[in-house]
Amino acid sequence: MRKTIVLMAGAACLYAMPLHARTPAPENAQVYFIWPGDGAVVRHAFWVRMGLRNMGVAPKGTDVAATGHHHLLIDTDLPANMNEAIPNDRNHLHFGAGETEARVELPPGRHTLQLLLGDKDHIPHDPPVHSKKITVTVQ
Amino acid sequence: MRTPFVTLLAAAVLGTAAAAGPAAPAAAADATPAPDQAYLYIGWPNDGQVLAANRPIRVWFGLRNMGVAPKGVKFPNTGHHHLLIDAATPGPGVEIPSDRNHLHFGAGETETTIELPPGRHTLQLVMGDERHVTFDPSVASRKITVTVK
Repeated sequence: MRKTIVLMAGAACLYAMPLHARTPAPENAQVYFIWPGDGAVVRHAFWVRMGLRNMGVAPKGTDVAATGHHHLLIDTDLPANMNEAIPNDRNHLHFGAGETEARVELPPGRHTLQLLLGDKDHIPHDPPVHSKKITVTVQ
Repeated sequence: MRTPFVTLLAAAVLGTAAAAGPAAPAAAADATPAPDQAYLYIGWPNDGQVLAANRPIRVWFGLRNMGVAPKGVKFPNTGHHHLLIDAATPGPGVEIPSDRNHLHFGAGETETTIELPPGRHTLQLVMGDERHVTFDPSVASRKITVTVK
């Protein structure tokens, strides 16, 4: 009998608390590349200027409504699981200090770039705020 | 014996008050040091640009070697944007006024749209720390002039 009650309580807890309560994105929030443009030809080191509308920038760990920080995805798709923190590796650059521009160096050739906003815990908002994926050619 | 004690106490209180006095207004002495190499600029419009009247003007805030944080957030090497319209350049360690000539972007915004009456106007960006106080040295963009007609 006792075991049943404990099991039921456990199930109730799981039901009541969603696994990840993602941070809501403001309506009309839009992240985009100010520079470079889609199809741009750039030198091996170039500045990426990250644009954000209807939302603000805040460093990681900052719990302020309608804010997030930039992540630059290089040669990769959007994460499959938006409930998890954005990976932190050479294909996913984090700008947790509230940066809005970044100096990027890439080997010659074609590369894709995409911006994805993360909340204070680096988890995408709900719905995710991401840019179009653009292609640049590095000379 | 009692009198000197009271006097000493009074002196101590006065000393505290004197120490607190100069710190109250935001003085350059307690200004947040500017991040090394911080560079603030207006990405758009350009200096000398002629803009159409009765159309919102989008202003891009460019910032390098420094980050953006909303007001009240203390995080190393960050601040928030202020757009000065037809206003004088504030010095370091000065609290930026909040009025129609000094627009605050305390929610961490990195661009805005403004409307300006016809004529010549100056635009300048200035970073403020979590208290809206300018850095030392002040992180400010070049002041640009636009013409609305």
